[in-house]
Amino acid sequence: MFLPLLLLVPLFAAMIAIALLRPSMKYGYIASAASLASLLLLYFVQNGSITITWFTIGKDAIAITTTIAPLNMALLAIVFFIGTLIHLYSTGYLKTLSEQKRFYIEMLAFEIAMATFAMSGNFILLFIAWEFLSMLSYMLIGFWHNRERAVRAARLAITTVLIGDIALIAAIVIFWNTFGTFNFATILSLMPHSVSIGLLAGSALLLLAIFTKSAQFPFQEWLPEAMEGPTPVSAFLHSSTMVKAGVFAAIILFPIFAAAHLLALMLWFGVLTAIIATFNAMREKQVKRVIAYSTVQELSLMLVAVASGALIAAIYFFIVQSFYKALLFFSSGSVMHATEEESIDKIRGMSSNKLLYISTLFGVLSVAGMIPFSGFFASAAIGSSVFTNLIVYSLIILIGLGTSFFIFRWFFMISGPDKAGETALRYKALPRAMIYPAVLLAALTLAGSSIFFLIPGFLSSSPAFITGAPQLSVSLLDIVSVTVLFAVGAAVSYSLYKPSRLLKPSQKKGSALASLAYTHKFFMLLYGGAARFVYEISEGVGAFDLYLSEAFDWLGHAVVLASRGIRRMSVGGINPYAFVFAVGFAVLLAWIFLVIV
Amino acid sequence: MDLSGDRLISELYIFFGLCVLFLLGNLVIRLSNKDFPQFLFNCAVLSLLALFSASMLSSDLATTAMGMLSINPFSLFFVLILTIAMLLTGILAYEYAGRYGDFALMASFSMMGIYLVAFANSLISIFIGLELMVIPTVFIVLLSRRSLEAAAKLFIMSAISIGLLSFAIVTIYGASNSFALVHAQQSDLMLFAAALFVASLGFEASIFPFNVLIPDVYEGSPSYATAMLGGINKKVGFIVLMQVLILVFATFKSAFLAVAMLSVLTMFYGNIVAIMQRSFKRMLAYSSISQAGYMLIGIAAATSAGIAATMFQIFAHAFIFIGIFAIVAWLESRNRNEIDDLIGLNQESRLMAAAATLFMLSLIGLPFTTGFVGKFLLFLSAVNANLVWLAIIGVVNSVISIYYYARPIMAMYAVKAAAKKIKPEGAIVFVVLACLAITLLLGLYPQPMISMATNAANYLFSMA
Repeated sequence: MFLPLLLLVPLFAAMIAIALLRPSMKYGYIASAASLASLLLLYFVQNGSITITWFTIGKDAIAITTTIAPLNMALLAIVFFIGTLIHLYSTGYLKTLSEQKRFYIEMLAFEIAMATFAMSGNFILLFIAWEFLSMLSYMLIGFWHNRERAVRAARLAITTVLIGDIALIAAIVIFWNTFGTFNFATILSLMPHSVSIGLLAGSALLLLAIFTKSAQFPFQEWLPEAMEGPTPVSAFLHSSTMVKAGVFAAIILFPIFAAAHLLALMLWFGVLTAIIATFNAMREKQVKRVIAYSTVQELSLMLVAVASGALIAAIYFFIVQSFYKALLFFSSGSVMHATEEESIDKIRGMSSNKLLYISTLFGVLSVAGMIPFSGFFASAAIGSSVFTNLIVYSLIILIGLGTSFFIFRWFFMISGPDKAGETALRYKALPRAMIYPAVLLAALTLAGSSIFFLIPGFLSSSPAFITGAPQLSVSLLDIVSVTVLFAVGAAVSYSLYKPSRLLKPSQKKGSALASLAYTHKFFMLLYGGAARFVYEISEGVGAFDLYLSEAFDWLGHAVVLASRGIRRMSVGGINPYAFVFAVGFAVLLAWIFLVIV
Repeated sequence: MDLSGDRLISELYIFFGLCVLFLLGNLVIRLSNKDFPQFLFNCAVLSLLALFSASMLSSDLATTAMGMLSINPFSLFFVLILTIAMLLTGILAYEYAGRYGDFALMASFSMMGIYLVAFANSLISIFIGLELMVIPTVFIVLLSRRSLEAAAKLFIMSAISIGLLSFAIVTIYGASNSFALVHAQQSDLMLFAAALFVASLGFEASIFPFNVLIPDVYEGSPSYATAMLGGINKKVGFIVLMQVLILVFATFKSAFLAVAMLSVLTMFYGNIVAIMQRSFKRMLAYSSISQAGYMLIGIAAATSAGIAATMFQIFAHAFIFIGIFAIVAWLESRNRNEIDDLIGLNQESRLMAAAATLFMLSLIGLPFTTGFVGKFLLFLSAVNANLVWLAIIGVVNSVISIYYYARPIMAMYAVKAAAKKIKPEGAIVFVVLACLAITLLLGLYPQPMISMATNAANYLFSMA
């Protein structure tokens, strides 16, 4: 019974915002308190499943089912915890207070939709939440609606995600046809040993939906583009919660993919995306987009772990990644706030705010995988999960090296010495609301390591396919390999971007090979081509009426020439539309007669 | 419910007595040449009719009179929703038509036709009803002098469609020697009649390719007339389509497959052409064509659940359409017809922008609106009738539609430099809020409507 309250508290806060919010208010505190209240209420929520019938038609009852299992609890906790910090951070971040009403209402609505997603126990609730997530993501990316780039990014995001929405609902339709139910638990219990066409088609479409939501190849580019949205949005939706909806669905519906033999596909798409994202992150200049590519890569690695059956490793990564990714976005937002620059070529001098500097460093060390940060355990767990597949393992090693390199490149550049030194004051003047959430998250990047040891106990009441997955362990080999990768990447990065080098920037252009690795532009061209293709079709059909009437006019003239005598009687009266009607009728008649069913 | 014959007849008489009263009321009050009493009288009569049919609907009444008419859950369902729709359209017309009396007179003739179609128990009643519905509508379109072209187009296409319909009826009579709505034996003549029927109702129900003039008519008519055309008249085409296909041509598998193909074509045509439109009204016209395509899915399924789904979608779309055309009428009175003219609407009237957004989200099929429930039921019925491919094409189409619905929404919430608050007229606000309440409340709790529609569909199949 505490479950609806989780949603009602933020809803109530949103209503307060609608009714009472004045531009002068610091509304973020109320939103933050509401999220915190929901977080605390989680303590009272019990495992189990609730089904409420929405409506019935004939013998089919359409119900909304919620499920609470440890994994759902984990995602709910992430949503409300990060939500609490995001709203707090936003009080410092939002400079234009006249916009704060729209901002907080949309953010709270997102929080509710995400929490609904986290507790969904059947496809009906999942679809409802999924759809609202797409829409709110669109609205929040395009929040600065008078910036053309933001509008374009929002459009790319919604287009990509909509492809997934079609796939999802088509998958739901097929699953209903195959299994006769929308309920996850029932579907999972019905998994056959042989692959039927319905199962294969449904799960392939579901995987497509997961790929669009979690920004996997070939849909990965919407996520970096989405960085045009406000930073709190990036930190909340596009790193720690919404983009992980796909991974979450892949975990809770894992047996479906296993039964349909799609895990190899998931694995290789994950590896491919991780490689693409790592290369792009190494070349990217915009401060938030580097972190976005890093997010894409982490989502891929989670899917790689899921595909290798290492569900507990994936869940561990799923949880701790939220902390340090939100942290790095907070830092990006703060440095952009202080310097009003976006390119890491120009942003300098973060080290002048010690608190910010140290918390960012914690996040960076965690991403790069330094022992004993939570990121280290994640890298080790992912590594050991694919250890049996030597090709994938070596690719993951190389990706780890690249990660360490690009995240330190990012860090060394933004914290590099500021020649003029004029930003130091601005860094020091950063609002406290923007610093303290980052500090708290920095502490969690360290404390989060304990989850590695606690997680088997936490997940003990999960469905059997999760508890039966390989347990987490760290071997000496993992420790050595992850640490070596971390050290080499950091060292290379330092030698290239050390303070003395940053002070005299070289004009040397990157090699052709390096720019080839930056595939972002190629994918954008690809998307543009696809979009133009669709547009042309639409335009072609749109001109249909016009061409049609011209064609019939021409036909009419031909008839006129043929028999001038009867022109006044027939041709003058030919209405092209009546002609369409007649042709349509003829085709219909032929159809009804000739199609034998 | 057990009723004696006398009581049945009396109930029938009460019902048609009300219709006559409605008509006479118009004529009598017309003499006083005042709009307002007439308007009140019409509203009262329509409300009474709605209440009366709602009360009969709950009693599961099913009877025939003189072999020509039949009161049953199926007909009462449509009488109920179309009467309420007419009530709302009447309010729009009162606000904008200028000469309300003329509108009311024509609308009451048209409503008589609609009731005849809904209560039809034979092909003759259907024919007379359709004829009675169509011709006054042409004059309603003509009330605005600028819409002469639209009226002419409507008239020509209606004439073609009525002509084909009479030909179809004659063919059926020739083959079966009866005007009754009973199962037909499959023969070449009957197949021909089936094709004629689908084609002739293709215009009345705006099905591609028989709908070619509909966007022109919708765009050229004054908005209250468009609301009536799209929200009421085009729905009547579906009533006939369901009655005739289920009762007469039920065993003609190729006809139902043809309906499935027409559904696919109509959805794609409506959605794809809508993307390119600049005029808001024309875009909505194409959108309503695509919605007609969705409605055909349930008929193609040819099951009780499918018909119930189509009925629910007809109900859902009728009120969304009237609601959004109330807003269009309001915009039209300010000479704002293009999608680009919507810029800044949110600053001018928050209510109108929010309502238009919700209506369009419902047309897309956002959860917790009637639009979602309707589409959901349609796709579900298609899957249960082994038409998974049709359901998936429907899904693809409903996603395509997001593109063109998103544009007006974005325009409404874009900021205009010099925007002043505009207070919409009370009548428009009433219509918009009423339609919005129906769309949202019955989207959140659709069970009563679904039960009614299921009941009606079951009745239709029990007659077949």
